[in-house]
Amino acid sequence: MSDRRLYVDYLARMEGDGAMDIVIGENGEIKKAAWEVWEPPRFFEAFLIGRKVEEAPELVQRICGICPHAHHIASLRSMERAMGIKVSEQTRLMRELMHYSDWIMSHALHIYCLAAPDFVGYESVVAMAGNPDLLPIVGKALGLKRLGNDMIVAICGNEIQNRTSVLGGFTAVPSKATLQALKERLKAAKEFAFETVKLVVQLGNVAPYNKLERKAEYVSLYDPKRYPINEGRLYSNDGLDVPDEEYPIWILEKHVPSCNCKHATIKGKGIFAVGPLMRVNNNFNTLSADAKKIAAEVGFSVPCFLPYFSIVARALELVHAIDASIELIDVLGEPKREEIKYEYRAGESYAVVEAARGSAMHGGRVDKNGVIQKYDLIAPTARNIASLEADFKAFVPQLLNLSDEELTLKCEMMIRNYDPCQSCATHSVKVNLRREK
Amino acid sequence: MANPKVAFFKFSSCAGCLLNVINIEPVLLTVLSVIDIEYFVMAKRDNHHGPYTIGFVEGAVTTPKEVLELKKIREECAIVVAMGTCAVTGGVPSIKNFSGMNQDQLTKTVYAENIYDPFLASIPAKGIDHYVKVDAYLRGCSYDLGEFVELIKRALKGEDPMFRPHSVCNECKLKENVCLLVSKGQPCMGSVSAAGCGALCPSLNRQCEGCRGPANDCNAASLAKTFMEDLGLSKDDVVRKFRKYAGNTPEFSKGAEAAL
Repeated sequence: MSDRRLYVDYLARMEGDGAMDIVIGENGEIKKAAWEVWEPPRFFEAFLIGRKVEEAPELVQRICGICPHAHHIASLRSMERAMGIKVSEQTRLMRELMHYSDWIMSHALHIYCLAAPDFVGYESVVAMAGNPDLLPIVGKALGLKRLGNDMIVAICGNEIQNRTSVLGGFTAVPSKATLQALKERLKAAKEFAFETVKLVVQLGNVAPYNKLERKAEYVSLYDPKRYPINEGRLYSNDGLDVPDEEYPIWILEKHVPSCNCKHATIKGKGIFAVGPLMRVNNNFNTLSADAKKIAAEVGFSVPCFLPYFSIVARALELVHAIDASIELIDVLGEPKREEIKYEYRAGESYAVVEAARGSAMHGGRVDKNGVIQKYDLIAPTARNIASLEADFKAFVPQLLNLSDEELTLKCEMMIRNYDPCQSCATHSVKVNLRREK
Repeated sequence: MANPKVAFFKFSSCAGCLLNVINIEPVLLTVLSVIDIEYFVMAKRDNHHGPYTIGFVEGAVTTPKEVLELKKIREECAIVVAMGTCAVTGGVPSIKNFSGMNQDQLTKTVYAENIYDPFLASIPAKGIDHYVKVDAYLRGCSYDLGEFVELIKRALKGEDPMFRPHSVCNECKLKENVCLLVSKGQPCMGSVSAAGCGALCPSLNRQCEGCRGPANDCNAASLAKTFMEDLGLSKDDVVRKFRKYAGNTPEFSKGAEAAL
């Protein structure tokens, strides 16, 4: 009798470096289910001590190349709050547009390049493009991703690391003509976003994906009036509802002996998950009208506790992000160059934003000269490790009939459901399947 | 003629430079028709071992394991490209080298309650040419997409990409920007930093932070003095500027040392 072990030493199609290790006992019980991030640590929280406060947003966006804007905005908001800096309404709206641009890029990337190949049986989007029937879809997906990128370039200067957004505001703003041209492209992109929702519902609506349900505590920002991206209360479907700056009080980390990652729990409660599926569950009512309409059309409703349906939540958010961006462009009109003025003041604060892949927190303490004394950051992927392990434990026993190869793929997909960002989540996870026979 | 075999590797970094590879959407499928991507774990599940014609390396080297992997990559690749500032100079991860904390203190600051974990073993962050010969450099955090496509085109023809060695000031002047340093008194690093970005930041009213590393024959010590004497920056401010994206380089070290 031996254990059945599923092991993948370097997981593909996700950001950063991680491995998976699953050991199944002879009676089908899960003896080990771990996801290990072996991405080397870069010690941001240490080397930021002694740096200037305006460098924090500049440097922390370099934590992650896929969600730089989330880290950047969380850092801006926390440092501004620490020093009592109020930004203009235009800056708030521009930051929202900047972040929605990132969602469009990131969601299009995840849906088509990282997640879809698993569902349709290809090793990559490049292989998908080799199929003449799928090539037009790949072309459209790349076009949509480019649109997100072009919005980012218009606002930030280039694709990956923004150049214009700084503490207190923006050093440059796009012209009305630039924004209007983007608006026309956004309007034209709606149709493909609808098609995307219909397509991914078909992908998710097959066994076993539509059967693998696990009720859990879902955490995200929440605002009763506006879909949360940069601001909102820290909220869960099971009663958490506190100001976002209280994140460090309510979300605790504990070391679990059997696992070399820290598990996050809600104070006085258990583990939880973050991400698009969690956001959509908590904020369905404030999705754009068209996002709700297409959800009804394809039969998607909340609550939905199907992790493999995170791709559907992502597609609904794609529709919403396009609508929200169009609205923001209308409200912004002709953005003005505003003077950036602030003074250093000692203070401490924290802020949460919704990265494409879930809630991210930044914050710390600044002295009266604007020098950072303490800095903390928590990436969404690090929050989801315990939740992913719970998925493994709940779902693998239902999939034991599959071959090792198939089961390994299904487990990898369970990881990709969270769209992990392992560069951000250095304290973490390993998939490796071993069954006792 | 068979397409060249191309590999993409990642060390300690944000993965942004790898993502940038697929940010050439308008020409992506064309580029993919003239190269064969044999290894790119972030983008595909089916990856193959070398030898490769070109190996693009993202990220700084920060662990002993990465040193060994890098040496193997050098053996497997005819052309090794340092892709992005982390691979070129050590980049943002190299800030820890100058933090005043030793590795044990750095580890304890971030992983306060952590037990000893060999995974956290970390060495000073360096660019990849600290360990192996590098054939071409894509500078910038992140690098310029035009330069990336140009590099591939030149490599296919067996030519040197001839990237510009001069400073950001040259490109800024060509764009007829108002000088942030001379006219606005901002501590812009453009005069000592390598061009190729099209003076991206100064064109957006943002002072250059030197993310592409030093330009040829730059006089960082003189700029450091200008920052302190003419603009009134503190010693610490100047040191932070020169020890951000390229603190490991001899050129920017001279800037930091001039302030100390």
